[in-house]
Amino acid sequence: MDTNNKNTLNVHTAASIEPGALTLTADVVVIGSGAGGAINAYELAKQGKKVIVLEAGPYVTSSEFKEMMAVAMGKLYQDEGGQSNTNGDISILQGRCVGGSTVVNAALCFRTPDYYLELWQNKFGLTSLTSEAMAPYFDKIEKNLHITPNAAHETSAGAAYISKGLNKLNIEIGNAKRNIKDCALTGFCFSGCKTDRKQSMLVTYLPWACNHGAEIYADTMVTKINTEAGQVTGVEAEVIDASNKTTKTRVKVSAPIVVLAAGPIQSPIILQQSGICNSSGQVGKNFACHPSLSVTAMFDTPINDFHGATHSLFVDQHTLPEEGGYLLLNAIQEPVEACAQVEPGTGQPYVSYMEKYRNSLRLITLIHDKNVGEVSIKEGVKKIIYDVDDQDFESMKQGLKYNARILFAAGADHLYLPTSDRTIIEKESDIDTVIDALKNEKARYRYTSFHPQGTCRMGADPTASVVSPSGETHDVKRLYIADASILPTSIGYNPSETVYALSSYIADQIIIQNFS
Amino acid sequence: MNRRAFIKAATLLSVAVSALPSFSFAGLLTDDAKLTEEERQIFGKILTVSLPTEGSVLIDPKTLPVLPTLEGALLAGMEPHIRQGVRGGALYLSTEAAALYGKPFAELSDEQAAEFLDKWGGSNAVPERALAVGLKKLVLLAYWAIPDTWAPIGYDGEVSDKWGIPALGNTPEPQL
Repeated sequence: MDTNNKNTLNVHTAASIEPGALTLTADVVVIGSGAGGAINAYELAKQGKKVIVLEAGPYVTSSEFKEMMAVAMGKLYQDEGGQSNTNGDISILQGRCVGGSTVVNAALCFRTPDYYLELWQNKFGLTSLTSEAMAPYFDKIEKNLHITPNAAHETSAGAAYISKGLNKLNIEIGNAKRNIKDCALTGFCFSGCKTDRKQSMLVTYLPWACNHGAEIYADTMVTKINTEAGQVTGVEAEVIDASNKTTKTRVKVSAPIVVLAAGPIQSPIILQQSGICNSSGQVGKNFACHPSLSVTAMFDTPINDFHGATHSLFVDQHTLPEEGGYLLLNAIQEPVEACAQVEPGTGQPYVSYMEKYRNSLRLITLIHDKNVGEVSIKEGVKKIIYDVDDQDFESMKQGLKYNARILFAAGADHLYLPTSDRTIIEKESDIDTVIDALKNEKARYRYTSFHPQGTCRMGADPTASVVSPSGETHDVKRLYIADASILPTSIGYNPSETVYALSSYIADQIIIQNFS
Repeated sequence: MNRRAFIKAATLLSVAVSALPSFSFAGLLTDDAKLTEEERQIFGKILTVSLPTEGSVLIDPKTLPVLPTLEGALLAGMEPHIRQGVRGGALYLSTEAAALYGKPFAELSDEQAAEFLDKWGGSNAVPERALAVGLKKLVLLAYWAIPDTWAPIGYDGEVSDKWGIPALGNTPEPQL
């Protein structure tokens, strides 16, 4: 096995791959280079196995990152940032580049709450995923990815205001844990960390995998997983030339083990295109996404919430379903992101609003949602069919009320809700009246989701789930799935650490089942 | 455009602008992406009534390449069927304005045009809400994506190079 030990990426791109056809062999082929793919690539390459990683997105080095959200969208995000549900009112953001969503997330980490691990044991038969069994995996990835609580200085001007409100209301302030080392406090997590402070897969597990001989093929979109007699045999893919969006090279990789980690939208689509793993009828079903709405607070004085830790505080007193089902997070934002976040009224009201943009801050309400959506592909067009459930919308309203009270306690003069028309809360006593009047309607709210999940559900029952408790698919041997698609329910918190730990766990299962 | 086509256009438009579209300028400005004169007037009117900057600190959009940004950075990067949805939605908005006011959207007074957009934003019809939000968002994104617009609101843009922050490079592999 070749090793480079240079701690650099061994990447082939559309520019370097010869046109025509390319045939490769490997011990393991990994589809996707985000959290699940990179961790499996490293752990399996470290076992001395020949690992090939296929990534549909481009290879963009951190020095090429532009600290402009709009530019980052074009380079680093799925569908150039335009991915949404079929009704178009939920923007569903995912990374599409070497390193996947770990390159563009806000690095916020939470261990999977015991509540969900117990739920998954009891309802989905995942008896091996106990708190005790998972603890070593959380410990390991927290050490490897430098997941630590924010230091006192790792905050932002907006977070300082929100903290005042929380203190006034005697609400406990959650100090965020992030996979960031020596944060430079630029506030550009969503555009990729230009100075490698964020411990994304791009600067951790992927170069580590390459130290052990792994090879990465960027711009390479998997079109089919091949099987024979119920056993995976490899994959087919196309290298796409980004300059004209045409296929430059057709790739065939033969491998006895495939790890599918293309993410909760693409993984079920690849299975559907391959016509496999759907004896349960659950492939693509059970989509959830943690829809979130930002409340924008306007203050009398400039806050300049432009730089700092992208997220620094959270409020989770009501995050478990029985306690309300919502999580609050602060987040800084740039004007291009903020310019259409609310509707102050066309014309002069809008101009006045943006003139005072520096006086504003936002507090996000994110809800634990039911797995009511579905991902499918028809005639080459992807569909994410999902609308916020009525009961979940009531959770959102409760979360918005809680959010609004905190912002008024922080000193806000008035609040804007992210609706299609002008919705302002002028004073604290109006909160209930305004929010009670909101109805769960399509195209009425400006939702964002960073957390798609659930479309290849894990479970012990092969008639009700896609993936077994080891991560192997029920239907195809030696085909494993390791991304947020396997989460049996939404978890109400940012799922990145859950995916890191589960992927590490699945890598161990692959080793035990195949290499021991 | 019949109602079915209109609803489809509205949905495609809202999908196209639900997030921040790319400003990569990766798309080639083909004839297919260029605005027709009628579309240019509609988007120009939305821009005018959305950003009446006179007397404010904001930069007058007439002095900035907003519509070229809309064409070159937004429309050019869209999938063709979505771009068609955007264009169809803009034309439908204009037609409906004509039905209400007796003249196309671009010929309305600024007060009428703003009133019309706000009315659609609060409409009970899903496609009307989607179009009002989507078309305005496209124009506003094209304006605020131009870095010249940031200084008046106090935003300083990119900082890593300006602050001289060194890159840490790849993290060393953990050793057992």
